[in-house]
Amino acid sequence: MYNFKTVLALKENGMKENDKVAHRLALLEGVSLSTADLESIASEIEDLERVVTELEEFGQGIPWISLQVQPPGKKF
Amino acid sequence: MMAAADILELSLTDLSRFIAARELSSLETVNAALTRLELLDDKLNAFITVLQEQALAEAKKADEEIARGSYRGPLHGVPVSIKDMFATKGVLTTGGSKILKEWIPETDSALVERLRAAGAIIIGKTNLDEFGHGGTSTLSHFGPVHNPWDVERIAGGSSGGSAAAVAAGIGPLSYGTETGSSVRRPASYCGITGFKPTFGIISRHGSFRGAWSQDHVGLFARSSKDITLGLDPVAGFDARDPASVHQEKPAYAAWLDANVKGLRVGVLRRFLEGVNPEVKRAFDAALKVLASAGCEIVELEIPELRYAAMTSMMTSSAESAGVNRRWFREHYHDFVPHVARGLAVGMTITASEYLTVQRARHRIREALRAVYEKVDIIASPTTARVAPLLSEGLKGSGDDTRHASTNHSNLLRFPSMLGLPGCSLPCGLNPEGLPIGLQLVGAWFADQTVLNAAFAYQSATGWHKRRPVLD
Repeated sequence: MYNFKTVLALKENGMKENDKVAHRLALLEGVSLSTADLESIASEIEDLERVVTELEEFGQGIPWISLQVQPPGKKF
Repeated sequence: MMAAADILELSLTDLSRFIAARELSSLETVNAALTRLELLDDKLNAFITVLQEQALAEAKKADEEIARGSYRGPLHGVPVSIKDMFATKGVLTTGGSKILKEWIPETDSALVERLRAAGAIIIGKTNLDEFGHGGTSTLSHFGPVHNPWDVERIAGGSSGGSAAAVAAGIGPLSYGTETGSSVRRPASYCGITGFKPTFGIISRHGSFRGAWSQDHVGLFARSSKDITLGLDPVAGFDARDPASVHQEKPAYAAWLDANVKGLRVGVLRRFLEGVNPEVKRAFDAALKVLASAGCEIVELEIPELRYAAMTSMMTSSAESAGVNRRWFREHYHDFVPHVARGLAVGMTITASEYLTVQRARHRIREALRAVYEKVDIIASPTTARVAPLLSEGLKGSGDDTRHASTNHSNLLRFPSMLGLPGCSLPCGLNPEGLPIGLQLVGAWFADQTVLNAAFAYQSATGWHKRRPVLD
């Protein structure tokens, strides 16, 4: 868990890569994971962050998000 | 009286005609399909549940109705199977998962309601990757599905049981679902025709969610003509699915037309660089067939598609985690391990990241919208290679969903991500005798155009008539 000191340290030094992964793993809501699971998930998370960065760059300037749902009442 | 083997060789089109004319009974037909299922399923593992007694009883009832003159249409009395993603009243519905290994729903899904109304006989529920999370049909609590063309190979997923069933002649029609490529990929690997309509055409009510904005219902048959017969009774508006679209009464079969003169078919050469040479040769030959039928082949560049696979993967990952949030907490260790780890990664995607991905998705969508002003269809090989060996594991497909690139997996994943109608149809065999698929993708609501193009191709070729040797 992150306490006040940790938050201050993060503010001063920026979030390190390990912290970022730990922060995300905290979102798993207490599910107990094996070491093998943790390693695999942590590796995927690192990849995920790179993908999001690429997609953020790619989507810059796009004013809308994609919606699949069609306008109700329209007949095709 | 027709022999069981001959019955199973019939197309859905012919089978329907014979049953309607009472030259063949539903009971004989269903019995033939169930016998073949019993003979082959030890090898294929395509089915989780077989509805032997129920199917035979319904077949008798169908014969009685038809004899009384109450013929309901082309699916009346026809044996069909459905992926075990669809709720069936009073029948085990598992999603391929240990979590629901004993769940018996009290109501039918919309698909099942419509199939029953059409008089179809559901003979069984097919095996799949757990809740549709996968592309191999090896991630099932009930074991992997085997490919009828070579049982050492995967059938593709996640609707692999449905594709294997149709390829093996266990009924002429099966229904599946697709979130990434789960109809088109197994159709390609199993040498049959698979079709996923535009988002909103078939109701998803009562099926398990994989990812809300990418989930579709699709279907498998031997030909595009048979696909239209299976599509008409199940398409249409359903207020219980928020994505469902108001439509005219579906009449895809009636409008099927092999005249595709002047149809503009786009090709994305840049994305074919890593495709297996045998697959590429079969694809080029297929383009020549379409050109001979009067299609105009147009070379296309869509650089935005380099981001399609990763955008689709991220969307699917985040939405799947949202769908399964509660089960993730309560049943993490009951999921197939690879599926559980995938859900865990999805759980860590933040809302702002998800929306960032949806902006990228919109950019790709707009690029495709512009392209469909210039062409009617985008054609490609469905998969970059033939069905991989089971021993190659999950990496066997060679897909790359992690990098912006010209990897072929972008072509496989963009139709579901954007809700476009897509078809995979057989277009060749490699030297080992394994099927190769041709993918045709149309603009939103150009489902008929896609089916007509597939019909034109199948009217000029015989690849869809090839069968695996299994007995």
